[in-house]
Amino acid sequence: MYLFNTEVIYKQKLSQDIYRLRLRATKDFCRAAAPGKFVMLGTDDSFFDPLLRRPFGICRWGENWFEVIIKVVGKGSCQLSGLEKGASVAVHGPLGNGYPKDELESEQKSLFLVAGGMGIASIASHLFSALDCNQSLTGTFLLYGAASYSELILLDELTAASALGLKMQTITDDGSCGCQGLVTQLLTNELQKHPQSQVFACGPEPMLRSVQKILQKAECDGFLSLENRMACGFGVCLGCVQTVLSKNSETGVEMAKVCTQGPVFPAQQVVF
Amino acid sequence: MVDLKVQIAPGVVLKNPVLTASGTFGYGREYAPYFDISKLGAIISKGLSLQPKTGNPGVRITETACGMLNAIGLENIGVERFLADELPILQELRATVIVNIFGNNQDEYAALAAKLDGVAGIAALEINISCPNVKAGGIQFGTDPRAAAKLVAAVRKKTSSPLITKLSPNVSDIVAVAKAVEEAGSDSLSLINTLLGMAVDLDRKRPVLGNVTGGLSGPAIKPIALCMVYQVARAVSIPVIGIGGIVSVRDALEFLLAGATAIEVGTASFINPRTAGEIVTGIENYLDDKGYNRVTDFIGSLAI
Ligand SMILES: Cc1cc2nc3c(=O)[nH]c(=O)nc-3n(C[C@H](O)[C@H](O)[C@H](O)COP(=O)(O)OP(=O)(O)OC[C@H]3O[C@@H](n4cnc5c(N)ncnc54)[C@H](O)[C@@H]3O)c2cc1C
Ligand SMILES: Cc1cc2nc3c(=O)[nH]c(=O)nc-3n(C[C@H](O)[C@H](O)[C@H](O)COP(=O)(O)O)c2cc1C
Ligand code: FES
Repeated sequence: MYLFNTEVIYKQKLSQDIYRLRLRATKDFCRAAAPGKFVMLGTDDSFFDPLLRRPFGICRWGENWFEVIIKVVGKGSCQLSGLEKGASVAVHGPLGNGYPKDELESEQKSLFLVAGGMGIASIASHLFSALDCNQSLTGTFLLYGAASYSELILLDELTAASALGLKMQTITDDGSCGCQGLVTQLLTNELQKHPQSQVFACGPEPMLRSVQKILQKAECDGFLSLENRMACGFGVCLGCVQTVLSKNSETGVEMAKVCTQGPVFPAQQVVF
Repeated sequence: MVDLKVQIAPGVVLKNPVLTASGTFGYGREYAPYFDISKLGAIISKGLSLQPKTGNPGVRITETACGMLNAIGLENIGVERFLADELPILQELRATVIVNIFGNNQDEYAALAAKLDGVAGIAALEINISCPNVKAGGIQFGTDPRAAAKLVAAVRKKTSSPLITKLSPNVSDIVAVAKAVEEAGSDSLSLINTLLGMAVDLDRKRPVLGNVTGGLSGPAIKPIALCMVYQVARAVSIPVIGIGGIVSVRDALEFLLAGATAIEVGTASFINPRTAGEIVTGIENYLDDKGYNRVTDFIGSLAI
């Protein structure tokens, strides 16, 4: 992982309160980036207010830049998303394990990418990495849910991925785009049609709990990307822990550090 | 070049006055990818107990104005695994190591001290009598001068290692506790541990932390820490190590000026893992610029 100050080279508003920032980075950083990994970001002249850096998924990257997508929910995200081109940012990353790679290479299985709300930032990192390497996405399905149409982001770029074979369905809580309902309903339906699929999911905790149950019922493998609160992002504060099943522990469970042992965990390992 | 050496306990001379606060520096090796940790005065381990401890369930951290609350609950791998897996790595990294210990009762503290007595590669023990996040294990000793003194005396009997007692700010008279543990045989004092605090989630009508209350750290507590270090350093004749909200070179120098023989960097290491190393260089540059020969000439030189 790398620790550096850099600058915003491009900024785009994606919706009412969601922004995309492109930051300059070294080639080494970009080589270490992978789908599902994240960075801790801070404004480097913040006078420690907010104090801690904030975790954001690495959504897309090139040779010497990477992008994050930030939804404004509080002080830190407000300050970061308010940065303009040329502003400086402190970066620590890439951090975390990312989505498992070899799971993708078993071509027999269909791959379902399930995103709820801002979970799309993590999930889309797959699609962008395929797009940028011109990899086929045949057999890959994106199920994307959000509260309403205005919260569905990146639709143009996601549609571009359909040229590589991606199949996409959207769903909204209020029915303003796609069908009305929850993304987990789409998953239940699709797994009936495609048993033996691989599933990667990222979204709010209630959604992930529900995905876990659906996978269990369908006897399907899957991975969940968690977004626990973090103070350090590199395994030293023990603030981000998640209870997970563990063979090595007498009690059968252990406290896993989401920042270093995750954020991506096998779905059935997580004890919500 | 200014001489940065400080003596924090009999026989314990550190190459400089910059240490890392327990619980904010992992077991030490996690920071090795970011800078040479042998450059530090010492690193202080996460609080260790006789048995491993899983810590508190639920949300453990939340940010507050210029600070953070934590309710980790002293999660740690236990002393056995520390000695077997972590200490050898720290020795290989040539770090000076101080071990922070706690127990559920006086016997556990004493047993831990006995176990660590004479272990090669451990420069001193820091006794945590001040963690606000667990029912047993510290704070009940730290708030009463007599209980604190009794505990320190019991630990003192079991070890020849230099002892640093880490004090709680959650008391009405920290000087009284400081004097009591000095008398009981503590070789030095470190202060402050976190301040008891709480955050409420208005929308959910619940406490934010799973443990309801937590320990406040970060720049928010610096004025309180400085004041307590100043008061205690004047009242005792053993070295005082200052802790609380140190994020910059200037912060560290302020503590030294107020009478701290050394300082510990805590929460700041979460934000920028290189902070403690940068503070070593910063202190050196500052004192060189000001023409000091020894950091000890600067320590406690606050003009009142
Ligand atoms: C590995 C990881 C990847 C992430 N990726 C992205 C991303 O790509 N895009 C994005 O917009 N966000 C992402 N997040 C979430 C993002 O880090 C938080 O929204 C941000 O830290 C909030 O900071 P703030 O100062 O704006 O809010 P705060 O003022 O700290 O909090 C505002 C509100 O959000 C809640 N909150 C804060 N942090 C979290 C959290 N981690 N989980 C649940 N609730 C929280 C608080 O309780 C409060 O109600 C990710 C989180 C993690 C751990
Ligand atoms: C996440 C976290 C964990 C901590 N764990 C311990 C611990 O195990 N033992 C201990 O004596 N102090 C512990 N502390 C207290 C710190 O060592 C330090 O006293 C306190 O954070 C104040 O310093 P700061 O403001 O620089 O962080 C912990 C603090 C934090 C933030
Ligand atoms: S965020 Fe500090 S250990 Fe995970």
